Amino acid sequence: MGDSAYSFSLTTFSRTGKLLQIEYALNAVANGRTSLGICAKDGVVIATDKKLSSTLVDTDQVSKVAAINDGSGFVYSGLGPDYRVLVRKARKSSQSYFLEYREPKPVSQLVKSTASVMQEYTQSGGVRPFGVSLLVAGVDADKTPRLYQVDPSGAYFAWKATAIGKNYVNAKNFLEKRYQDDMELEDAIHTALLTLREGFEGEMTNDNIEVGIVSANDGKFRVLTPEQVQDYLDEAN
Amino acid sequence: MSEFTNNTVNSVKKPVEETPSGFSFDNIHRNAMIEQMSKQQAASGSNSSYLPQATKTGTTIVGLVYKDGVVLGADTRATGGTEVADKNCEKIHYLAPNIYCCGAGTAADTEKTTELISSQLDLLRMNTEGSQSRVVTACTMLKRMLFRYQGHVSAALVLGGVDVDGPHVYQIYPHGSTAKLSYTTMGSGSLAAMSVFESGYVDGMTEEEGIELVKRAILAGVFNDLGSGSNVDVCVIRNDGTTKMDRGAVQPNDVTPLRNAINRSDKLNMRSGTTAVLKSSFKPHSVGGVTLADVTVTDMET
Amino acid sequence: MSILEYNGAAIIAMTGKDCVAIACDTRLGAQAQTVSCDFKKVFQFGKTFVGLAGLASDVQTMNSLLKFRKNLYELREEREMTPRVLSNLLSNLLYEKRFGPYFIEPVVAGLDDDNKPFLSGMDLIGAPVYTDDFVVTGTATANMYGMCETLYKKDMEPEELFETLSQALLSSVDRDALSGWGATVHIVTKDGVMTRELKGRMD
Repeated sequence: MGDSAYSFSLTTFSRTGKLLQIEYALNAVANGRTSLGICAKDGVVIATDKKLSSTLVDTDQVSKVAAINDGSGFVYSGLGPDYRVLVRKARKSSQSYFLEYREPKPVSQLVKSTASVMQEYTQSGGVRPFGVSLLVAGVDADKTPRLYQVDPSGAYFAWKATAIGKNYVNAKNFLEKRYQDDMELEDAIHTALLTLREGFEGEMTNDNIEVGIVSANDGKFRVLTPEQVQDYLDEAN
Repeated sequence: MSEFTNNTVNSVKKPVEETPSGFSFDNIHRNAMIEQMSKQQAASGSNSSYLPQATKTGTTIVGLVYKDGVVLGADTRATGGTEVADKNCEKIHYLAPNIYCCGAGTAADTEKTTELISSQLDLLRMNTEGSQSRVVTACTMLKRMLFRYQGHVSAALVLGGVDVDGPHVYQIYPHGSTAKLSYTTMGSGSLAAMSVFESGYVDGMTEEEGIELVKRAILAGVFNDLGSGSNVDVCVIRNDGTTKMDRGAVQPNDVTPLRNAINRSDKLNMRSGTTAVLKSSFKPHSVGGVTLADVTVTDMET
Repeated sequence: MSILEYNGAAIIAMTGKDCVAIACDTRLGAQAQTVSCDFKKVFQFGKTFVGLAGLASDVQTMNSLLKFRKNLYELREEREMTPRVLSNLLSNLLYEKRFGPYFIEPVVAGLDDDNKPFLSGMDLIGAPVYTDDFVVTGTATANMYGMCETLYKKDMEPEELFETLSQALLSSVDRDALSGWGATVHIVTKDGVMTRELKGRMD
């Protein structure tokens, strides 16, 4: 494939100095379901809208929040299949890091290596950029909670709270008003659901959203069960 | 596992940031020449010589199935030749929350093989939506790895755990052959331990009976096999998913009270100024690790 | 003679109260012939020291390799490598060459983030041994074990640790033809590293 006529990178500069493929990838993200994350003082919450195209789809089989290792997890907005590739690569790199140093891969390193993969796909031949933005939630070995966003270009940012996907501008405005520095994880989960509800089409239920949390106390990332989500939804009403 | 591969992307040369998986054979030829050289010297009359030995576990390891799960046991001695390299090493390795594995043979091989398989099981669990690992899966992964290296990765294992199909104990030989048994022993002390099992094992033992028999089997190895020694480690994995790792369940060779009882001669307390010092210097720590400013370019030694 | 004994070495690392110390002899030999009496076999990696006993060429190769990997880690992660991580990295570097090993048996000694002592030793293919008292490696291991088992006490202050360690090493190498000819001791405390060169027998 290396020498074929199509081995040039699809992501090439336009005359105005823009990389249009990356902008199109960001459009794919902006069309995707909303996802958001909030970094509290004792943990991180990530949540996403997982409304599906048809009521006939079995929702239990759809999972958008993925644990990468013990202490961190991903959620995305954009193209699901592209996301799975990133999840698999991140899990694998996290395992090889642990095998090598016998220490969990720090969230910042997980973000950097994932961002490197995404960058590589903007400069290689015969491939297209990933059509996803990621939110990475995790707790480092020193118990510091972390929240990052990674974009298709390979750019990454650390956030106190942010949103991606459809309606992300409104969601971010909402978060800006609600975010407080001394927020605890429970408050953050509550705020996350309220934010998600802004601009949610139809009623929010425990099977059309998904929530992942990581608590600084035990350093474990977990995806909330529909029952747990329901408890938080009841609280938010 | 089939991997997503794309020639174009994978052909991009990356800097070495992580140890590439798999073994490196770079030193093989050099080492063969060293061996040749030392053999020639041996022949020409100087001291006999060969390539150095790796640390062995020596080892008595055992495993059995009881009424509500499995019990694994191990001694804690590691040997380098005839020298005791470690008086309290861990030979019961974690593979998964519901699976543990005792290792005998070359210490590094048992350690690294179980670490690798543990990592692969973790990945497999994540990629299959967090379902529990099965003992037979761990067994198959281990035997395939060992068979691939034709016995050169010298790990003799007793694998034990519980899963949806109940409690299981497997024995795995370094060449990759396996057997599913209700009780088994491995390592240099396996004969001593097996004599205890053969006389004491019955089906459907309680947890207490199982633990007691495992302790006795390991102690038989500790006292009758020179490769085994020090303490007894016991690990219980129950059908309900709980585990109990008991490091130093029996410590027949604890010397702490003995040592504390000794009245140390004052001569053994080294006074300041005992040692003749030629030169002394003190350097405070620099903080924060290496930064670009610290990385100096040095000329190659020629 | 095994190739591990070709050049000769004696290294001990010992823990004290919130401090560790590592001592080595300084001889480089070619079997019975002494080539140098200021050969470096203990290397500093921040608050961690690594002692490499065995074939001199592999000692230097491994030092370079470890320095490369440790610098890369610290530049990438913007933090210091703890002794435990360094020990695991070293163990994996050795095991990678399982079937064509480096002929060295390392010890790692250092203070972790909380300034608690860390000690480990490993064989030539990276099987780790963790202890909380002392580790030894080199051609005089039997002697050094004997000395350490006799002289070691828990929770020694840096000065007493220095004297104990030095005496353990010096007495050991005096009964080993392949090591000796001077010694160097590093005492690591939370403030810094005290390095001392010892007077030893030159025969």
